[in-house]
Amino acid sequence: MESRRGFLRKGLLGTALLALGGGAFLAFRRTLRAAKPRAALSVLSPDEYAIFAAVAARIVAVDGDSPATDAVDVAGRADDAMAQWPDSVQVEFRRLLRLFENALTGAVTRTGYETFTASRERRQDERLAAWAGSRVAVFRSGYQAMKRLACACYYAAPESWPATGYPGPPELPFGEIE
Amino acid sequence: MKLLAADRPIANLMRGREIGSNLVLSADVCVVGSGPGGAIAAARLAAAGARVILLEEGGSFTRKADFHMQEAEAYPKLYQDHGNRATDDLSITILQGRGVGGGTLVNWTTCFRTPEATLALWRERHGLSDFTAERFGPHWDEVEKRLNVHVVDAAEVNDNNAVLMEGAKKLGIGTELLRRNVVSCLQTGACGMGCPTNAKRGMALTYLPDAAERGARVYADCRAVRLVLDARKERVTAVEAEVLDPATDRPTGRRVTVSAARFVVAGGAINSPALLLRSGLPDPHGRVGKRTFLHPVVATIALFDRRIDPYYGAPQSVASHAFIERPGRTGFFLEVPPLHPMLASLALSGFGAAHREGMKLLSRTNAVIALLRDGFLPDDEGGTVSLREGGKRLSIRYPLGETHAEAMREAMKVSARIQLAAGAREVRTLHKDPVVVRGERDLRFIDERPFGPNLLGVFTAHQMGGCAAGADPKASVVDGNLRHHHLANLWVFDGSVFPTSLGVNPQLSILGIVAASAERMIATG
Repeated sequence: MESRRGFLRKGLLGTALLALGGGAFLAFRRTLRAAKPRAALSVLSPDEYAIFAAVAARIVAVDGDSPATDAVDVAGRADDAMAQWPDSVQVEFRRLLRLFENALTGAVTRTGYETFTASRERRQDERLAAWAGSRVAVFRSGYQAMKRLACACYYAAPESWPATGYPGPPELPFGEIE
Repeated sequence: MKLLAADRPIANLMRGREIGSNLVLSADVCVVGSGPGGAIAAARLAAAGARVILLEEGGSFTRKADFHMQEAEAYPKLYQDHGNRATDDLSITILQGRGVGGGTLVNWTTCFRTPEATLALWRERHGLSDFTAERFGPHWDEVEKRLNVHVVDAAEVNDNNAVLMEGAKKLGIGTELLRRNVVSCLQTGACGMGCPTNAKRGMALTYLPDAAERGARVYADCRAVRLVLDARKERVTAVEAEVLDPATDRPTGRRVTVSAARFVVAGGAINSPALLLRSGLPDPHGRVGKRTFLHPVVATIALFDRRIDPYYGAPQSVASHAFIERPGRTGFFLEVPPLHPMLASLALSGFGAAHREGMKLLSRTNAVIALLRDGFLPDDEGGTVSLREGGKRLSIRYPLGETHAEAMREAMKVSARIQLAAGAREVRTLHKDPVVVRGERDLRFIDERPFGPNLLGVFTAHQMGGCAAGADPKASVVDGNLRHHHLANLWVFDGSVFPTSLGVNPQLSILGIVAASAERMIATG
């Protein structure tokens, strides 16, 4: 898995942000563990699971027509997927999550002074949008990494298909010819 | 009643889980990689009497056991980096197959011979004087017969591809029906997830069993770590590979070492240059990994009032090369992708409600893709593959410049016009803030959107270059016979040898050009 690499290798700013994300949280502001793992985690910590669950909820943003991201356990699926990634990529992605969660990130992007998980939905969306369109390439890449994993884990789940109109794989005939 | 074709077992195939101890093997020829290049080379060499061992990093998969038309299963299993391969900055998503059969496991079955314009450029600019249709033609004839390559029937064009065909026709833009390598295709639309009916004539059903029946031995789940050189660094003496556990894709600790008289690297663009770099092969001019080309893809998404069902039917059956020749600018060609939910969700811009609403319209959505013919302009050097973390990980960089931006903008305008002509209610680009096109006057906004990494969705399903062929050792990695310039017993037989992109889907070019080169390799004894 080479994709989630390099997004923190863009110079001093990236290095500083990485150190921040891997280190102190602003003023002891902790992750709100609204989502709890359904099973033992392979890669993510409970905090990171909760962060990604919160991120996925805003990225996918289901309405009444679709099952919630928690119902599909997007964060659990992400943890399963990450188990096959190289160790160094796992580390990078976990740091990314902690960086995104960090209250200082909110301050830097002018999207509030709370952790992401403790922020209101509007603020959460603002932070995602700030990263998606940031002039800092590191933020744009980080947003892409989170968005792709969240979307892949949600829309690969058959429960998500009815709302898209996708009827599912076609029926195959039985029987085989040698 | 329609019946499914049976799996065709590959004799002499050993999987990673069956390798319980370190293996030390010997052969006349060791081939690394089992995609189109490695497979046809192995078949040709085995047929000529060589003892062939083929190492494949990915697993061995069959219709019955593995191809269930589920994206959640297919992408992690059948694609490089579990479906997550991308450039370092994530600005270009790289779809590249992995497994016994390589890219032919998951490609969309489109078959083109190498265009004459491409061969002419290679002859003139890269010194490949005998890269001619006359030389490759007989090999293509044989390959096309073996893979049942044929033009699709117009009745097989699904609604998704019909948008391109009909919209272009209304605008006077030429299109063509494509040729596909299938037998009794049931039109499931699942080519990219492994053919669930064995209709696709990929390598795992054709040249790899052929090679095995001639004695070639195939080792799946064996990742070539490095090529070992002799003391004088003039010849390759062995390949060292690590055995992977197919359940976790992690090394088991076992190793396979293959000694041979001659070696073929056929890991594909990106992995082949990476192997050469990891091995520390002679590269006095720093050419390995350079000139990596991707056919960078941009797409426009069209919404119709009628169902399109872009996930069913032959994924690709129509193309347009009307814009491939753009003097002084980068040319592009137009095709159509299948849109299953997961792939569509990755392509659609934005997040939240806007993304969700786009996904809700999937059944009425069409996409047209424009693939840039990169590497043709004299100053277009493409991207670079290199190593980091001591060779443990790849670095893939592909700078998108103004020539790409110009071609992408023009391609999006052309695609949107075609989609509107076909009756689309509206067309959206894949910019971070999509341009919504409902008429000609909206197209100007495409020029106004900022262009840069991760500001516009860009993809690639065709990877080429990195071990470019050429007459000049200062500018290329292998010669006109695809033999390494500095190592007499090493050949590179895959799409990494292309000195530019092709301007067409690559599989048939790889098969024909490698078949011709393997013939010469055999002739040299």
